[in-house]
Amino acid sequence: MTDAVSGVPAPRRFEPLFSRRYTLEIRQQMAWPQQAAVLALAVVAGLLISGAILVAAGVPAGELFQEFVVATVFDAQSLQAVLFQGAPMIMVGLAAAIAFRARYWNLGLEGQMIWGAIGATALSVYDVGPPGLRLLLMFGVALVCGLLWSLLPALLRLRWGVNEIIATLMLNYVAGNFLLHLLYGAWKDPASAFPHSPAFQPFERLPELLGPSGAALGIALVAMLGVWWLVNLSRAGLYLRFVQASPPVAHAVGVPVTRMVLVAVLLSGALAGVAGFLVTSGQEGRLTQAFYHGYGFSGILIAFLARNHPIAATVVALLIATLFVAGRSLQVFYQIPFSMVQLIQAIVVICVASSDFFIRHRLRRVLPS
Amino acid sequence: MTPALTLRDIRKSFDGFLALDNAHIAVRWGEVHALLGENGAGKSSLMNIAAGLYKPEAGELLVNHNPVRFNGPRDAAREHIGMVHQHFKLVRPFTVAQNILLSLPEPAEPLSYRQRLAEVARRVQAQAAALGFAIDPQARIDQLSIAEQQRVEILKVLLAGARILILDEPTAVLTDQEAASLLTTVRALAREGAAVVLVTHKMADVKAYADRVTVMRGGRTVASVDPAETPVAELVRLTVGEGVDDGAVAAPRRAGDRGAPMLTVRELALGARGGHRPLDGVNLTVHAGEIYGIAGVGGNGQGELAAAIMGLSRGFEGELRLQAVNLLSVSPARRRHLGMAAIPADRYSHALAGALSIAENFGIGLVHAGRYGFSLWLRKRRMDAETRDAVAAFDVQGVRSVAQKAALLSGGNAQKLVLAREFSKQPRLVLAHSPSRGLDVRAGAEVHARLRAARDAGAAVLLISEDLDEVLRLADRVGVMARGRIVAEFEQPADRQAIGQAMTHHD
Repeated sequence: MTDAVSGVPAPRRFEPLFSRRYTLEIRQQMAWPQQAAVLALAVVAGLLISGAILVAAGVPAGELFQEFVVATVFDAQSLQAVLFQGAPMIMVGLAAAIAFRARYWNLGLEGQMIWGAIGATALSVYDVGPPGLRLLLMFGVALVCGLLWSLLPALLRLRWGVNEIIATLMLNYVAGNFLLHLLYGAWKDPASAFPHSPAFQPFERLPELLGPSGAALGIALVAMLGVWWLVNLSRAGLYLRFVQASPPVAHAVGVPVTRMVLVAVLLSGALAGVAGFLVTSGQEGRLTQAFYHGYGFSGILIAFLARNHPIAATVVALLIATLFVAGRSLQVFYQIPFSMVQLIQAIVVICVASSDFFIRHRLRRVLPS
Repeated sequence: MTPALTLRDIRKSFDGFLALDNAHIAVRWGEVHALLGENGAGKSSLMNIAAGLYKPEAGELLVNHNPVRFNGPRDAAREHIGMVHQHFKLVRPFTVAQNILLSLPEPAEPLSYRQRLAEVARRVQAQAAALGFAIDPQARIDQLSIAEQQRVEILKVLLAGARILILDEPTAVLTDQEAASLLTTVRALAREGAAVVLVTHKMADVKAYADRVTVMRGGRTVASVDPAETPVAELVRLTVGEGVDDGAVAAPRRAGDRGAPMLTVRELALGARGGHRPLDGVNLTVHAGEIYGIAGVGGNGQGELAAAIMGLSRGFEGELRLQAVNLLSVSPARRRHLGMAAIPADRYSHALAGALSIAENFGIGLVHAGRYGFSLWLRKRRMDAETRDAVAAFDVQGVRSVAQKAALLSGGNAQKLVLAREFSKQPRLVLAHSPSRGLDVRAGAEVHARLRAARDAGAAVLLISEDLDEVLRLADRVGVMARGRIVAEFEQPADRQAIGQAMTHHD
């Protein structure tokens, strides 16, 4: 301290590393390029850790880059698979993001997907509507079914304060078991007696549009633009930002908080319902037992990594889809279990979540006085 | 009697606001020393310095004539100073014994946790018996009443070795019987030789229980007297001051200038009958073109009244009308549409979203009316342009861009932003709750000028403030709030002493 006063710099003494002291300070605001750099660093750290685990599991270190980047992105067939996987991922990512923006933790994406798919398949099973309009009807019914399934926990929360985390999560099991009830009973495929629905008619499948996944991807991109418009350009988006920033302030300044939460939740359910339609009609061509597995978790993860931003969510969804596809080829070529993909996802998420700490805090060396 | 604790010429400021200037107090062993003053007079700040929580910028602290310097409450505890805060610092799911154990230093001899807990429980019971009450050391804090929790706090500081005991507004949360019992206990402690500082604003407690009283006003010590020889009127005069006319007082309007009744409150109540009632039948009328000021000691229902008018919570009974519309049955959005503007006491809980931009915080006021587009389209450019105009018109400083976060504004400028938004439409009713609290003099004066301008434009203004000077300077009529009702009403020019009496001397 005396040095600082007299203006004479203290000679630098060597200090052992472990005796240095640091303090944590709260950082008010970080410029966004710095934030992006911190996030990128976190993703790189996560990938490095994941790479080390994969190497330990028997993938040659030299092949990692080949498998993950070259073979998936630069191979036309693999790229096709990524996009194929990507469309429903984008939908669930958007669905989670919009609900999270209203501070509503919708963990019921899978249930809403299931109901969307059940609604769409019902039209096929009971042959409803003219063939020319069938696909459009299936889309609409899937949307409405997903929306209605999300309405129940939303009303419970808004009317009686029932925690939506529990309600939406548990309703997934209700939806999943009802799906099994249908597939083992009324909707069992008579052709094979397997527990899945009869195959859709060709006019009930998403048409090829610039490749097999073009139509699904198109729907996902339109949804992305719609959500982006809503959160950034509309008055509802301003209301939603207030609800997200502080519900008491929003209420006091006259934002219709309840209505905004309801709008966000129903939109979330509708998007998830459409995701269910995209998987059944676009990928499987019938209603199957496990078509929804993993989407709920992935949707939450995508929204989290993208900070609930719709365009970022789309990019992250495609990256996660890449991971899925690469994981599948690892499974084939190196006998790496598929759960390794989930492990990688989890590691990356933990790294990104931890990086938040460095955005909000600053580590400062305490100089000995 | 020898001095136990002396604070001399203490100065302390917060964000440039001088909270304490030339404050002093001398407490002797064996006495109950009351520290009297209005809200914001600096009582708690001074005592927080004595307890080691704040560091003074100037002045000295003496314990038994020895100068001391505290770097934290532990240093103060080493000098046997203990403070019981207004808001208890207890871990609710823990038992009494566990809470007290937490605050004690490590014992010299190694004991197991269980042994230490048993030891503490024994000492708790012994100390409680010595003070004349019983307490179960195994009871969980959340099962205890407020009065019992307060006893735990007192036991906590005593068992930590405190001989100089500071109690910050201890009777504010107690019923009369509980308060009487507490103050009897406090007297007993002093009789045994301890020094007790009783921070309070209640004249009756001072008269009945204190050996000496130090009066503070505006961060200064104004007097130190013997309460037995000083009449209540004199204590009130010392507390609220002479109210020197500073020339800024606008001529209050006479009854003849008043417009029609705008806000009508009839028998407004909150809480269960027979139980604690934060609002217990409030009656008042605010006319167009007048400022109605509510004076009173904080915590007498002012916050609940403001919440009722703003629509922050539910459960109110009675009548609250804006002209013909019953406000209790309509949403905050509807109230704003009807012409209500509100400047709440806590900006970041009820007025501004700190994480959002200045433009968003300004625009949210007019956006409902469709000025900035309809639900699917936001006219952002227009909103930004009008925000820039309003920021300039209301002299909000420190705005580099209207896209910057509102949280980065200083208190005074954040308040000006609230005013800019609330007055962007011509309001018919303005609720202002402690609108200049925490602001410097200049910003406070600007806020006052805006409120007067709103009144002159024909709005009904309801000003709720714990600062009597603010009320007297602004209000055309003054109501005094105590125990959830308006206990007295005064036409301006009001008698400051009479208002002070009504605030502090009521039953």
